Amino acid sequence: MTVLVGHPPRRADRAAISLGAMLARSLDTDLVVVSVLPAPWPTAVAGHGDRDHAEWLRSEGAAAVAEAESVLREVAADLPTRALSVVGRSVPTALLEQARAVGARVLAVGSSPDGPWDRVVLGSSASRLLHSAHLPVAVAPRGFATHAVPRFDRVTCAFQGDERSPEVLRRTAEVAVAGGALLRIVTFAVRGRTMFPPEVRGEEEVLDAFVEQARAAQQVAVSALGTGSEEHRDGALAGSVECLVPVGRDWSQSVAAVDWHHGDVLVLGSSPGGVLSRVFLGSHATRILRHAPVPVVVFPA
Amino acid sequence: MSPTVRHQLTRRKPLRLASPHEGPDLKRSFGTFQLMMFGVGATVGTGIFFVLQEAVPDSGPAVIVSFLVAGLGAGLSALCYAELASAIPVSGSTYSYAYHALGELVAMVIAACVLLEYGVSSAAVAVGWSGYFNELLENVLGWHLPDALSYSPIPYEENTTGILNLPAVVLVLMCMVLLIRGASESARVNTIMVLIKLGVLMMFVVIGFTAWSSDHFGGFWDKGAAGISAAAGTIFFSFIGLDAVSTAGEEVRDPQKALPRAIMGALGVVITVYVLVAVAGLSAQPAEEFGSAEQQDAGLSVILKNITGSEVAPTILAAGAVVSIFSVTLVTLYGQTRILFAMGRDGMLPERFSSVNPRTLTPTFNTVVVAIVVACIGGLVPADYLWDTVSIGTLVAFIVVAVGVVVLRRTQPGLERPFRVPLFPLTPLLTVGVCLYILSGLAAVTWLIFGAWLVVVLAFYLVWGRRHAALERSGGPELPAGRVR
Repeated sequence: MTVLVGHPPRRADRAAISLGAMLARSLDTDLVVVSVLPAPWPTAVAGHGDRDHAEWLRSEGAAAVAEAESVLREVAADLPTRALSVVGRSVPTALLEQARAVGARVLAVGSSPDGPWDRVVLGSSASRLLHSAHLPVAVAPRGFATHAVPRFDRVTCAFQGDERSPEVLRRTAEVAVAGGALLRIVTFAVRGRTMFPPEVRGEEEVLDAFVEQARAAQQVAVSALGTGSEEHRDGALAGSVECLVPVGRDWSQSVAAVDWHHGDVLVLGSSPGGVLSRVFLGSHATRILRHAPVPVVVFPA
Repeated sequence: MSPTVRHQLTRRKPLRLASPHEGPDLKRSFGTFQLMMFGVGATVGTGIFFVLQEAVPDSGPAVIVSFLVAGLGAGLSALCYAELASAIPVSGSTYSYAYHALGELVAMVIAACVLLEYGVSSAAVAVGWSGYFNELLENVLGWHLPDALSYSPIPYEENTTGILNLPAVVLVLMCMVLLIRGASESARVNTIMVLIKLGVLMMFVVIGFTAWSSDHFGGFWDKGAAGISAAAGTIFFSFIGLDAVSTAGEEVRDPQKALPRAIMGALGVVITVYVLVAVAGLSAQPAEEFGSAEQQDAGLSVILKNITGSEVAPTILAAGAVVSIFSVTLVTLYGQTRILFAMGRDGMLPERFSSVNPRTLTPTFNTVVVAIVVACIGGLVPADYLWDTVSIGTLVAFIVVAVGVVVLRRTQPGLERPFRVPLFPLTPLLTVGVCLYILSGLAAVTWLIFGAWLVVVLAFYLVWGRRHAALERSGGPELPAGRVR
């Protein structure tokens, strides 16, 4: 069960490979780095330009692989790793094809360069992946590095409290058990947007009720987890699940109200996306993701 | 040991359960002027666009006196309300204050009143909106919805009837969607709405004065005291919203000075605007014409059309009304859902009313139920029945608040009150007096509807709510079942 990393060629971004290395180390598996290059137009007879393109692909592919390998030597010298380049008409499609081919368990990508440091920012490829992947997609915050913490030691489940949340929690718990990490359950509570300016109260009641409701739902889910399967009980989870309901005026406050450290991974579930059970991020998931200071793993519905 | 019925009816929610919210700091500090403008914004626009056509036929030109009486009642009530709100630091409405101060039975009576104040007024305002909306369509497109789809089926005197008031229903459902999504009306939008409302009303006043004829004020007192109090009962409705100022008591710098000034200042502005509109309307046409059929739907707009003979001014007024009344409906509907939410939290209503949808973070079930009921009322009942029902609910609630101030001063003299009513025993007593006077003018059928509604609510309470109250479950008022955070 490999960890696959999407590495854009000629972009000196080590975040995705670092994240892939952390996941592979924790999950005790190997690491494959894939760079996707633009595929040529299909032509009956290759002309001069086509031959030029093929030549460019060869050299560019070799450069991308060399670059990936040099990063791998730095951040993942202890792991079985492999770097390759493939051609494809679209980066997300090519990555997903490779993921199927190598039987990947999780796909790791980096953030867009157009965003603040230490935050997850979805670029167009990552965004597309989150909406169409059949496997969990991990997104590294911009500038993510794991020299200090080789493995993740705590997995945080963003628990919305709706009907799908227990399933997300169950899968998060599996990841935590597999990685020997602690499990933490967080429901982010945000004060609703209101008619009145905040001088006139009324919305606090709703927020208070939601906090109570979320606490109760977390307790139910945790106890269901404890009795669910033998595997969990003797894993790292016994008695150590932390439950939090941070409150904020908006999503950034609510996410910031939780303490985060370098070994954290945040897990989100995405909303069910119809018959193909593809990833459709709910509006909450996108908002939490935007403010997350740690790597985020999004499970497909 | 189960509590006796008497204990249940009189038990009060302990004040220490009403500790102020401990979440992130959501408050702002407020000055007198800002608070005053907030009060003006919350009040103007609820009724003035429709109320002249209801009130003038009752009172004749003396409607101006009715405005002053209703304003006096509203101002005094707002002062009493402010003391209760400052003494009991809970979010919510009169209902919450009554539950803490006066016990469960009184709280249910208040709840019945406040449901009328908010729920029925949302419906009433939606019906009024429908009239201006049709007027706007007619002026701009030269087409309006057929009568069958713009009037309710229940007849009132000889007004037109139809099948369903479709615009009212659609308006309420649109507001529902916004509320479920979590609509926000920022302070800036609020200010713009207020300016639009005041702007179109001032335009009405100026144009009205160009058609001045003192003859129309002849026979000023002809309808007598009965006419004045009847009109005041209807007009009272247009002062609802002033109590919003009172609830901001905690956030005001120096409430003892700022609150009464803000309330009186807001009241002064509102009364001035209303009286100017009334004088302008009366000066422009004889009092009898207010009752005519053509003015039933978009009264102020039709008056402007009669004065100017052109479509421009009436269209601007109708457009301003359509935009600003929309926000009024949104706010009253919002208030309604939050009262039911508080009741659900207290166990007076099924728990579903206080459940928050984790996807939207709003009380979705609650909002849908409220919207459906309000849409039915707005779509099927003519506004003429609704205004008075709203007024009676609000007046009774205000009387209970005034009495509550007196009772609480006796039973809990040591309670910290950031704001105290000036001229203590006089102000609450005067409030009760003025409210009773206005109530005396309401028609018998209004009392009948109100009584029936009260019986329904109390029956529900005695059969269901009494046993399911949160205080009952926690084994009495002494248990610290406070919010954990």
